[in-house]
Amino acid sequence: MTTADVPFAEHGQRAPLIADDPATAKELKLMIKDWRTGRATRSLGQALSDGYIAVFGFLLVGAMVANVIVQAQGVVSQCNSQACLSARTLLPWATFALCVSAALVLSRLFGPVLASAAEGFWLLDAPVQRKRLLTPRLLGITAAGLGIGMLAGGLIAALTGSPFDEIVIWGVGTGLAAAASISFAAAEQGAERHLPTRLVSYLFGLLGLVALLAVIAVAAKWVVLDVNATRAVDIGLALIAAAAIVLVLTSVLALARLNQIRRTRLLSGGALVSGISGAFFALDFGLIRDIVVDRRAMEIGHVRSRPGRGVGLRPLVWREAQRLARSPQPLLWVALSLVVPYAVDALGMGSVMPIFGSLVLFGAMVPMLNGLRVLTRTGGLARAMPFSNKAIKRATVAVPAVVALLWALATIPAFLGFASDHHPFPEAALMALVTGAAGFLGAVRWTTGKPPNFGGPAVASQFGAIPPGLIIGMIRGFDMCLLITAPLLLGMPPMVSLVIAAIVALILLTLDWDAMKAQAEEQQKQVRAERQQRAGN
Amino acid sequence: MLYMAKRGSVVLKVSGLRRAFGPVTILDKFNLEVREGEAVALTGRNGAGKSTLLRCLVGADKPDDGTIEIDGTKLTESAVEIRRDMATVIDDLDFFPDLSVVEHLDLLARAHGLSDPEPVVDEILHEVQLIPQSGQLPGTLSSGQRRRLALATAFVRPRKLLILDEPEQRLDTEGIFWLARRLREERENGLAIVFASHEPSLVNSVATRILHLGAARDGEMVGPTPDQSLAEPSLTPETVVPGEPSAAVPGQSAQKTAQKQKQPAKKPRPSQGRKPKSTPKSAANQRRNR
Repeated sequence: MTTADVPFAEHGQRAPLIADDPATAKELKLMIKDWRTGRATRSLGQALSDGYIAVFGFLLVGAMVANVIVQAQGVVSQCNSQACLSARTLLPWATFALCVSAALVLSRLFGPVLASAAEGFWLLDAPVQRKRLLTPRLLGITAAGLGIGMLAGGLIAALTGSPFDEIVIWGVGTGLAAAASISFAAAEQGAERHLPTRLVSYLFGLLGLVALLAVIAVAAKWVVLDVNATRAVDIGLALIAAAAIVLVLTSVLALARLNQIRRTRLLSGGALVSGISGAFFALDFGLIRDIVVDRRAMEIGHVRSRPGRGVGLRPLVWREAQRLARSPQPLLWVALSLVVPYAVDALGMGSVMPIFGSLVLFGAMVPMLNGLRVLTRTGGLARAMPFSNKAIKRATVAVPAVVALLWALATIPAFLGFASDHHPFPEAALMALVTGAAGFLGAVRWTTGKPPNFGGPAVASQFGAIPPGLIIGMIRGFDMCLLITAPLLLGMPPMVSLVIAAIVALILLTLDWDAMKAQAEEQQKQVRAERQQRAGN
Repeated sequence: MLYMAKRGSVVLKVSGLRRAFGPVTILDKFNLEVREGEAVALTGRNGAGKSTLLRCLVGADKPDDGTIEIDGTKLTESAVEIRRDMATVIDDLDFFPDLSVVEHLDLLARAHGLSDPEPVVDEILHEVQLIPQSGQLPGTLSSGQRRRLALATAFVRPRKLLILDEPEQRLDTEGIFWLARRLREERENGLAIVFASHEPSLVNSVATRILHLGAARDGEMVGPTPDQSLAEPSLTPETVVPGEPSAAVPGQSAQKTAQKQKQPAKKPRPSQGRKPKSTPKSAANQRRNR
């Protein structure tokens, strides 16, 4: 019906519009799908064939990763020491608990049921059953949780050397538990409650931490763990049954409450996803983190302000410490990451401890460098302070550097060795220091990295034009971890790694690249001017 | 009354500035001198090069040619002396997501050497009407409140040169009155100001000179020759544009209105529980302007 067809009532006023045959939810979805696919310029097959090198590369890397897992599984399964047995028993539990916790945290952050702004405007106002629109979405998210949980549970069980049946049990159990967590969060979303989801996520996070600490305790022979393989299978099966029951119950509840979810709540998660996906497609991982941090700050909203201390750079350092005291979650991540070197040693893989330890510390340190991120992502705030960029960087990383140093000190016993080769104390201390430095400097490099410049010159590729910083951005931070710990992996003395770490620190924290670049440009300009003057003469 | 520029020392000196984007030259052979107590307003249509010029002046953008000196020091964005003397509010100001409004101002004041920043911070918070929001995180502020916070960051610290890009943006009428009064006061206290604005009342009441930058006209968008500048020749320091507050300018009564800006009946204290120290306003002003 066009506007011309709208019947006019008496006195020339328009009569109310009456829809004789309103569209169904399915028809609306098909129409949107038609719009979307109708505007695509290339099919998925064409896109894949254009990027065949990348597809080939992914397959190759995937095969290598699978091979490494199979090899590691073979090696670890031979280990029968108390430490190995404890890790084999406890690490899947830790994975299970942490997967549940992570699923709940992410579900609370995103919804878990969400809708895009366009859907909110066009569909949610339509006279259709909202439940019908949202049901496939809820099922999809739950299925994704099931798949990711299965992968994580199965992978950890395989890497700890568990037999095949246990791998399957842990995979299915963890997957079902993750799916049940998502449906539980969806049920709570429908009831407009946040606290139960938050409390359960904290509880499972705590359980995961306890399980990880137990791995260390057993490896250090502080606790003796009586392992019974048959009971482990029985417990695993019971876990699957429990998770399945929770999944069914919470799914029924969540589906029944789908109609009650407010539009603003649905759109809030959608806006977050669209922001994150935009940043993801630009491969700007820093921006993804910024979006999440901003969302968290908006949730908090108001804080009890506290006065600063001192003048000059001191208040900047003080604010970093204060920020950490105000939101100590990053410290929890660092504390959790402490477990990794011990767990790796317990599994008899002491030789790869530095790279594993540094990578995990790198991930845990990033949330601690929010201040550095803000001061380096745009120049505005740094320009408002009467210090050079390098001084600002050093002041903002002072507190995280101390935390990294404490982390390194705490991992020295792992490097001294519980299960694998023992290192003498000086060597173990140096190795721990190098690992801590690698993780810390990796996080600093990741945080201070500039996003890819899509406005500058690009490099031609099978995928089209790619900005030069795009690929480097993907490995930023990881490269430092590998560079610094590589000598240890190759069996070289830790002093070599320490020297590399010192050079990296010098480059990242002491040299002011922007100022040096400006100086070089200025010199080039002067040289050009002199040449022109000579040519004129 | 004709505003006469004080013949103080030169704070900002721009010589032969050139900035081009591809074939379009935005600024060419641009010269400018701003002395203490002078306020230069940049006006012109969108795309005329006002923001580009200001970005070059603060070091956020690199000119293709020419030099910029702040108080005799050649401009580099990270030079400590320049960061100490130049307060800027352009579109790239960022905030810590987890520090409150008052903590931002406290941090900046302390970074600039104010050991007891509380009176200055309280005063500026009161001026920008952010006292009720003093404990809020920046992400929860409205766009207008964020703008006020950005302006407050420039006034909470010592400065010799103030550079503002469309400071009236997102401010309400009362906010623009306050800003005009504050900038006039700053200028009279000897501060050098360069600002771009589309608000005639602000320009007329604050500026001692107005530089009108020309934009590309219809049909000229493609290909000005490399030597062709879209900027009109800059005015010499002697060219003083009358800036007498007129009917369109906040006059005396407007000032009184602005002074009577409504605050909550029970004013929440930004110091969050600490006793404010009664420092005379004049002392605070002295400290602020060093």
